[in-house]
Amino acid sequence: MAEAIKLETVGKRFGDFAALSDIVLAVAPGEKLVVCGPSGSGKSTLIRCINRLERHDSGHIFVEGTELTDDDDAIRAVRREVGMVFQRFNLFPHLTVLENCALPAIRARGLPRAEAEARGHEELSRMRIGDQAAKFADELSGGQQQRVAIARALCMRPRIMLFDEPTSALDPEMIGEVLDCMTDLARTGMTMICVTHEMGFARRVADRVVFMKDGRIVESGPPDTFFDHPQHADTKTFLSQILGH
Amino acid sequence: MSLAADAPGGPIAWVRQRLFATWFDGLVTVAFALFGVYLFATLFDWAIVNAVWTAEAREACTASAGACWAVVDARGRLILFGLYPREEHWRSALACVAIIATMGLSCVPFFWSMARLAALWLIGFGTFMGLMYGGFFGLPTVTTEQWGGLSLTVFLFSAGLVVGMPTAIGLALARRSRLPVVSTLAGIVIDFTRSIPLLALLFAAAVVMPLVLPSEVQGDKLTRVVIAFAFFYACYQAEIIRAGIQSVSKGQEEAAAALGMPGWSRVFDIVLPQAFRNTLPATINQTVITFKETSIVTIIGFFEVTSSASAAVGRGEWAAYFVEVYVFVALIYFTFAFALSRYGAYLERRTRLVRG
Repeated sequence: MAEAIKLETVGKRFGDFAALSDIVLAVAPGEKLVVCGPSGSGKSTLIRCINRLERHDSGHIFVEGTELTDDDDAIRAVRREVGMVFQRFNLFPHLTVLENCALPAIRARGLPRAEAEARGHEELSRMRIGDQAAKFADELSGGQQQRVAIARALCMRPRIMLFDEPTSALDPEMIGEVLDCMTDLARTGMTMICVTHEMGFARRVADRVVFMKDGRIVESGPPDTFFDHPQHADTKTFLSQILGH
Repeated sequence: MSLAADAPGGPIAWVRQRLFATWFDGLVTVAFALFGVYLFATLFDWAIVNAVWTAEAREACTASAGACWAVVDARGRLILFGLYPREEHWRSALACVAIIATMGLSCVPFFWSMARLAALWLIGFGTFMGLMYGGFFGLPTVTTEQWGGLSLTVFLFSAGLVVGMPTAIGLALARRSRLPVVSTLAGIVIDFTRSIPLLALLFAAAVVMPLVLPSEVQGDKLTRVVIAFAFFYACYQAEIIRAGIQSVSKGQEEAAAALGMPGWSRVFDIVLPQAFRNTLPATINQTVITFKETSIVTIIGFFEVTSSASAAVGRGEWAAYFVEVYVFVALIYFTFAFALSRYGAYLERRTRLVRG
């Protein structure tokens, strides 16, 4: 089967700053990819280009065979298949947890309300947060909010999930519950790209780890090789910094 | 406040601490208390004890030192109905009740959807127009020049809001448009309108428009005035909404976009509700101001409740009792403005802007 996601020599600049240079990457269906690297290395920009929250300047990006261009219909078609989870959750604060899940499915998928709400309950239960459906986001802990955000994305029944540092804004004691939910999700065969510094999670779940620096992919490989025998000097420095404490 | 209330020692300790901590505090407390009692007693004497209540007792007013509420009894109809024909006052009263009821109903969450609000206001304005204008079922036609009093005030206010709010949303969105032509034009229109006095705009709508526009598109003078009034309100409200939109974090729009929600849904389901929630106090403020500003239409010859009141005491036998009349009118304005403020406070609690 063809790649779920394919990037061909993708470049992206913010003014004079080259956020991405010459990115070549292919992600197979069902593959779990962890992207790591120092801040400012372009990790977030990379996954934000995949659902076109950022517009790439050069190269080509294909998501399930559809190329991302300025065509709004293509962009929305891709976004319906690609779920995203943000560092800061970005739940809609004026809606209940259940509405957060149901409304996008109604508006983007055209589901009838009853079906969308049923889906909402289902996905919330899967994220072990079904009992909070009637609450508002700001009544929940950070870990609970992030699980709602995952459930909300899953209500769209995406085939690909992007995670942009999903545990970086969480208190340490809540990181585990979110990672557990992500691990469960990985077992379902979902294609996942996670920007994260949770190296334990990367080791357990990832099929491949990609290390980025200065907008380039420096090294990539299966977790065992990547962690135990890093090739590049930058990777070694990064790993020693992140695992050193 | 809550800290003080929780302080040990109960109310006596609180009073000692808060009101009589030093001899100077004590002096200030006593002075203000005496002044307050004096003020209240004087007002009570004037408004209740020595007041004259009925129009038949007009002579008593001259003798009494108290309020002459008789003037309200005698001229109340003129104040409330303006120049509307006397035999038809019941229509104006009913029309006024219809608008107030419609306003009340639109405050109920059940009606908070585009379709329901639109239907509600169509019925509300339809009832108002039918009653006020007449011309069917044997009701004599009363032209808009004769409309006046409280029903004109509530009509100007509600029509201004109902026409103005969608316009304001449109202007705010246009000003944030990605197309430079649209955003620049919206900016110019809003800033220009906010730079001229409401008086000038109403004057232009009432007097200048007929000179400029061909007669087929001029419409009725009241219609032009309502549109001008609504537009003026819309330009201020648009800036409040724009501030609200800017206060919504970029992540909200991004999350909605990432979920594949279409552009109109991102605006109307996600960004605008939060924009309104964040600017509720300013919106209520602008609404109260708009209610009070309806009195300005007197300048172009409409007798809403304030100018009807001036006319009621203007000359003749009751001229000496203008204070009572204006107190009466002030109470009417207070009732509406205060109700609006309380409703605003309810909305803030409901939208969880204020934690209970």
